[in-house]
Amino acid sequence: MRTSFWIGTAVAALIAGGAVAQELKFAPGEDSRFTWKSYDDFKAAHADLKGQSLTLFGPWRGEDEVLFNSVLAYFNAATGVNGRYSSSENYEQQIVIDTQAGSPPNIAIIPQPGLLADLATKGFLTPLGQENADWVKTNYGSGEDWIRYGTYKGKDGNEAFFGFPYKADLKSMVWYVPENFEEAGYEVPKTMEDLIKLSDQIVEDGGVPWCIGLGSGGATGWPATDWVEDMMLRTQPAETYDKWVSNEIKFDDPAVVGAIEEFGKFAKNDKYVSGGVAAVASTDFRDSPKGLFGIPPKCYLHHQASFIPSFFPPDTELGVDADFFYMPTYASKPDLGTPVLGAGTMFAITKDSPAAKAFIEFLKTPIAHEVWMAQASFLTPYKEVNPEAYANDILKKQGEILTTATTFRFDASDLMPGKIGAGAFWTGMIDYVGGKDAQTVGADIQKAWDGLK
Amino acid sequence: MNATASLRRIGLPRLFLHLSVLLICLLWLIPTAGILVTSFREAGQITASGWWTALTGAAETSAARLADPSTAKQEGSNYVISGSVFEEGKSGTVRAFGTRVAAPTEYDAGEAADIGDGETLVINADGTYIYTKNAPFGDGRGKRVYLSIAQPPTFTLDNYRTVLTSQGIGQSFVNSLTVAVPATIIPILIAAFAAYALSWMEFPGRALIIALVVGLIVVPLQMALIPLLSMYNEIGNLFGLPSRSYAGIWLAHSAFGMPLAIYLLRNYIAGLPREIIESARVDGASDFEIFVKIILPLSFPALASFSIFQFLWTWNDLLVAMVFLGTGKDQLVLTGALNALLGSMGGKWEILTASAFITIIVPIIVFFALQRYLVRGLLAGSVKGG
Repeated sequence: MRTSFWIGTAVAALIAGGAVAQELKFAPGEDSRFTWKSYDDFKAAHADLKGQSLTLFGPWRGEDEVLFNSVLAYFNAATGVNGRYSSSENYEQQIVIDTQAGSPPNIAIIPQPGLLADLATKGFLTPLGQENADWVKTNYGSGEDWIRYGTYKGKDGNEAFFGFPYKADLKSMVWYVPENFEEAGYEVPKTMEDLIKLSDQIVEDGGVPWCIGLGSGGATGWPATDWVEDMMLRTQPAETYDKWVSNEIKFDDPAVVGAIEEFGKFAKNDKYVSGGVAAVASTDFRDSPKGLFGIPPKCYLHHQASFIPSFFPPDTELGVDADFFYMPTYASKPDLGTPVLGAGTMFAITKDSPAAKAFIEFLKTPIAHEVWMAQASFLTPYKEVNPEAYANDILKKQGEILTTATTFRFDASDLMPGKIGAGAFWTGMIDYVGGKDAQTVGADIQKAWDGLK
Repeated sequence: MNATASLRRIGLPRLFLHLSVLLICLLWLIPTAGILVTSFREAGQITASGWWTALTGAAETSAARLADPSTAKQEGSNYVISGSVFEEGKSGTVRAFGTRVAAPTEYDAGEAADIGDGETLVINADGTYIYTKNAPFGDGRGKRVYLSIAQPPTFTLDNYRTVLTSQGIGQSFVNSLTVAVPATIIPILIAAFAAYALSWMEFPGRALIIALVVGLIVVPLQMALIPLLSMYNEIGNLFGLPSRSYAGIWLAHSAFGMPLAIYLLRNYIAGLPREIIESARVDGASDFEIFVKIILPLSFPALASFSIFQFLWTWNDLLVAMVFLGTGKDQLVLTGALNALLGSMGGKWEILTASAFITIIVPIIVFFALQRYLVRGLLAGSVKGG
């Protein structure tokens, strides 16, 4: 035992002094892509908070954590607050434990509105006030939709605005390798009919069109929910989507079953998916996109959200070696417009303090968005930010889709109760890919939902 | 000695036994060997091929880009781009190449490939290429070509470097020790006292307490997380102390480990010969003297083996540490810090495997320091007396 003490001390001595005060990534006032005025204004307005501390708890770890800390550094520098961010692999469980036990962080960052709604009902969240809701409404693209996803019933039963959206993800995307398309002479499809035609063409040419992987450890099945949601928005009006989320229409309703079968057209076709249908459920979603870059390619198309480039092979230059197109809509259903499926993280105050309030104010400054935009993997529906700040053209293109969407809908599985959206829906999709028919799967999920009531 | 003689000496059943033991050992070691090999491979290799191919050096297909058309030189009526497909400082052997991704090994190395439009391309085994066209090349980026390259086996220490130099890893190492060492010693001390009392001191309700302790073994600790933490919060508020502290996690680990510790040690201590203890009593020794002078030395194997179990469990624990110590950078334990390295989406095998071997160092040291007691101690409680 003594040996291990010595090793510990030695290692500690080696790495001592590792805690260096964080420097600002971009020097204030220097780069004209950034809206520095908003930083200076914020700094001037919040000079009275020096020395206070602020704890934030959220889902980002590893590289994402470094990125978020680079944003937080600007808040700390402007206000003198000691803001510290931390995370945990099971942050969804941990935030429940922390709030229930009475030692929550000041601010909880949660990507599942369903979970936040649950915390709000139990009275663990502090309402952000009408003023913030109005701000989101006027300044965010499809602002009303965003407010809806941050508004929950409080302990008193009245609805209030609790979750401030910051950082969005875009889901309705199909990734491809432009040079593979060029060589084979394929065109980016503009309609869903064309997409199916292209898939058939690839099969005819001896290739495999799609890479679909649903594996994700304990969360296996979730990538399929994105598919079904996208198909739902492309076959049904957005109102039906909303009713589906609130279970006003049942999971085995023909509208929902139809969307599941639309997904099945791709995932349950042995000729369409790399490795055959049997590989769909067992392939990890993180490994799945690598098939695009195989030589020869294992597939030509991959449907996944905006985060997926972090799992592309290293040295992949976005926009050149890999690109995406908007998951197209049916030309036969023009009245559905251009729906966009997305997700986002919500900032909620779990322990109120002046510094926590100030942080929400900070999220309303363009600079809080631009600092992350200029680095990587960040999208914002905020209209006042300078789109030139996006780190690359891919992000810029995604940002445009987000701010100009006619309909924005949040990932349904994140809105549904946890037991469905993060349980029965996932396992149902695995069953569906495994051979059950859509009607039975829908009925099974509905049965689980009825059990919650 | 010839083979038959040695076979006769060992005996066929025994030979069979030895062989099966060897086989089982190998089977057990295969996953560990795989993790070890993986931890020395690059991230790209890990997803491209299995670890068992790492030692042979496989033919790898990859893409390369020829130089920009702007570097073309005119030679007579032809335009020529030349260079090497390998980046500077790298080398390899090209076996085959292709110009279409669907057929990446269409041509053998050194073969002149006629790719239409009056263009020919030759890529030699050493990676040098000559790309000729009978008219000027167009604009744009260099042409993409596909190569089958014979790769010698390559290994890297980068994964270990990434883990060991990541910020806060040293601090978290110290934090883990600060949690694990007292969380091993405290429950053993208390459990040894309790075990003695429960086996050699007569008092009413003893059997009931033993039954209660045994019953507590089956209670999952996850059930206690929220109530325990809220209790800490109340106590902390009362005295104005932070609710998340090392004292808190030591107590939590001690409490969670106690039922099994008491049960194990009681069964061992109860199995000690009654005569020794009775003669000590006759000689006038008090219970405390009997405990310190007779019981503790005699039950050392059981104490050692339990301390190994408890140390491994507290060292590897993530859940209890996250809940009772928090997730802040300055309190994060090693398991938490390594977990954070994996990123929000996980899936970084190279980091995961390297961290596995780094975390395992301390438990291995503890194990070898105490292992001579382990074999004896493993039998603790299995021979039950008194």
